[in-house]
Amino acid sequence: MTQIGALDARAEALGLKRNMGLADARAMHPSLDVVEADPAGERRLLGQLADWCDRYTPLVALDGEDGLLLDVTGCTSLFGGEKPMLDTMLAQLFEQGFEARAGLASAAGAAWAAARFHGKRIVAPGGEVELLAPLPPQALRLEKPVCTGLDSVGLRSVREIMAAPRAPLARRFGREFLMRLDQALGRIDEAMSPRLPVPELSVERRLAEPVVLTEDIERLIHMLAAALKSDLERRGEGARRLSLSLFRVDGAVSRIAVSTSLALRDPVKVRNLFREKLAAIACDFDAGYGFDLARLAAFSTAPFDMRQTDLAGETDVAEDDLALFADRVRARLGPSAVMRPDRIESHIPERAVALRPFAGKVVEGGRPRAPHPLPPERPQPERPVRLFDRPEPVEVPVTEIPEGPPMRFRWRRALHKVVRAEGPERIAPEWWRSAEDMPERDYYRVEDSEGRRYWLYRLGQHEAGKPPPRWFMHGLFA
Amino acid sequence: MANRAVARDAVFALRREIARIEGTLPQRLETPAEAGDAARLGIGVAGFDKLLGGGLAMAALTEIHGHETRDSGAVSGFALALAGLLLSQAKEPGPVLWVGMSEVFREAGFPHAAGAQVLSGLSPERLLFAEAPKLADALWVAEEAIPLQRLAAVVVEVRGNPEKLDLTATRRLHRRAQAAGRPVLLLRQAAQAETTAAPVRLVVSPAPSGSRRTLAGPLEDSIGRPAFTVSVDKCPAALPGLFTLEWNCDERLFTERANPQIGAANPVAVVSLSGCGKGSAPAAGQVVAFRKKDASAAGAQPAPEQRDADRGPRRTG
Repeated sequence: MTQIGALDARAEALGLKRNMGLADARAMHPSLDVVEADPAGERRLLGQLADWCDRYTPLVALDGEDGLLLDVTGCTSLFGGEKPMLDTMLAQLFEQGFEARAGLASAAGAAWAAARFHGKRIVAPGGEVELLAPLPPQALRLEKPVCTGLDSVGLRSVREIMAAPRAPLARRFGREFLMRLDQALGRIDEAMSPRLPVPELSVERRLAEPVVLTEDIERLIHMLAAALKSDLERRGEGARRLSLSLFRVDGAVSRIAVSTSLALRDPVKVRNLFREKLAAIACDFDAGYGFDLARLAAFSTAPFDMRQTDLAGETDVAEDDLALFADRVRARLGPSAVMRPDRIESHIPERAVALRPFAGKVVEGGRPRAPHPLPPERPQPERPVRLFDRPEPVEVPVTEIPEGPPMRFRWRRALHKVVRAEGPERIAPEWWRSAEDMPERDYYRVEDSEGRRYWLYRLGQHEAGKPPPRWFMHGLFA
Repeated sequence: MANRAVARDAVFALRREIARIEGTLPQRLETPAEAGDAARLGIGVAGFDKLLGGGLAMAALTEIHGHETRDSGAVSGFALALAGLLLSQAKEPGPVLWVGMSEVFREAGFPHAAGAQVLSGLSPERLLFAEAPKLADALWVAEEAIPLQRLAAVVVEVRGNPEKLDLTATRRLHRRAQAAGRPVLLLRQAAQAETTAAPVRLVVSPAPSGSRRTLAGPLEDSIGRPAFTVSVDKCPAALPGLFTLEWNCDERLFTERANPQIGAANPVAVVSLSGCGKGSAPAAGQVVAFRKKDASAAGAQPAPEQRDADRGPRRTG
């Protein structure tokens, strides 16, 4: 049966209620305007609203399907007190088209009850009892069966519950019930899980006039970074992960994150990093009517090693330059834009070299991590200078001699005649890695009539009664 | 053969004349005069180095072309060999940054660090790779990287002839390389020669390798040291040259292989290829077929049948 899930004030004035059948409601008022519920869309909207509320405090949590919980401890003074903050918040939400109810209290439970049962109320510390006493048990955020149970034993308000002895209540309705009561009254603390990670340091700037231009945003980043720098200096640290939140006037929030290989605090460098990122996302970056609040937050910091300049006034900046370059390329082209190859002790050619993100430091002299470096006297096996990520199939005529390298093969639709060949080099799969039984590969170096050198392999062996083994092109030699 | 030699002589005479008019006589056809002060990377083959005025210029953009994608092994092998030479001569060797477009890494395979180590002794720590999906991004990365003091060289790899890699783009790379004093190698797989700002263009194609040498003499049917046919397509001395170079992986040096076929066939162009490969002017004396309509419009004499038609009664409607 289709039911009414939510309704506005005018519909309520007509005498309609939640959970009422839609057919009944239509029978009462045929001209009813009905919109189908969209829980996913509502959740998304609530998430966006939570992002937007980030402007009041970094600790924003979702509260059920229709609420937001903000921990504004220490933030109210930025708005001139509790009441002005609540007024601003409701006014700004109203401007966005939301009719919000808000409560502010020392305990999350009390604030919840104040918002839901009063609309707009600030509960002074210690005023929880006064607030909750006349309210029904639902104000304690209880499960539905518990509420019905309380109703059946005649406890119809919080005052009656508070007056009742605790032990029998705990026995009958569970410990959680009493925990909810204590949380609402502020007797025990309640942990909240913020939606976004909480930054270590953050600076923000409110703007009287919204900014739209990229140049203005860059200037803003520079100012914020300069403010962040003094905080970082006090802690002797530099930022490793930075996030810029731009709050749009109409409620959308853009978040831009950059990470650095070295601890960073220079405002110019920070601005340059964000400049690359802004350039990279320029196409899907919508300033709309402008941003009225910008926040720069450092989510991860690291000790910043001060370098002393030598007498000639020079520092070892070359290494830093490389790291900064890598950061900027990463900021623009994504995290895998600058890679360094790393040798791995594996015989499988595609596993022998791993590409890892370049961390900004050039490792000097050999492989420090390898426990058993190859003995120097052992000759390195011949390896191609270019390796295909996935070996490409090669057609070899079936009329060939089963053993040995092919006489001719077709790769990328061109026929190649093999003049000389070396091999095979048999590379067996690593049994400790693959569960299933993979056939071994026989690699051949072959040279075609024009002098090109290829690395071919045959997968598996010729066996009677089975299809002939397939050939693959795996690399090109110099 | 004889015609070619005569033609080349004529071209050189003309060049000399132009150089005389411009007042830059000695530099045009001989080794450039400023070769002494600019740092150069000698590859150890006398003829090759002499042609380039003492070796590859360190502070310049150098184009290395390959005719086909499957030649990429030879092209990148040659570039890696040059990088290996460069690092072995450098006082403080730094890493080599290899900037490539995703397309070329997909089509020609990713440069394999293990192969580079075997070929030119470049340890994996000495290689850095940057992959960019678009040419503009690849050029941006390269331009940002060239001034970095820590890098020994920058390799930019592009496939084909993208429109954006024009004279301006290459001039930007070249100027930055000059300012930073850092060699920049522009590898162009499966590309045709076009006008760029690079002073030197080499076309590398694979050459049949020699046999492995053992104590008992050359080993039959074995694949020995890698060999390249390097054609100097464009260089400041304006003299084309063709060399077959063999790279010795162990000693890390190039040796020239005397190739009698090259001298006989003489496939070297009289002049280096002109810029626009597609719309180049036809050779003199070539018969060009025009369409009939064009012939009547452009030619002074109309064709006989057309004249007849003109004389006939004019039809209207």
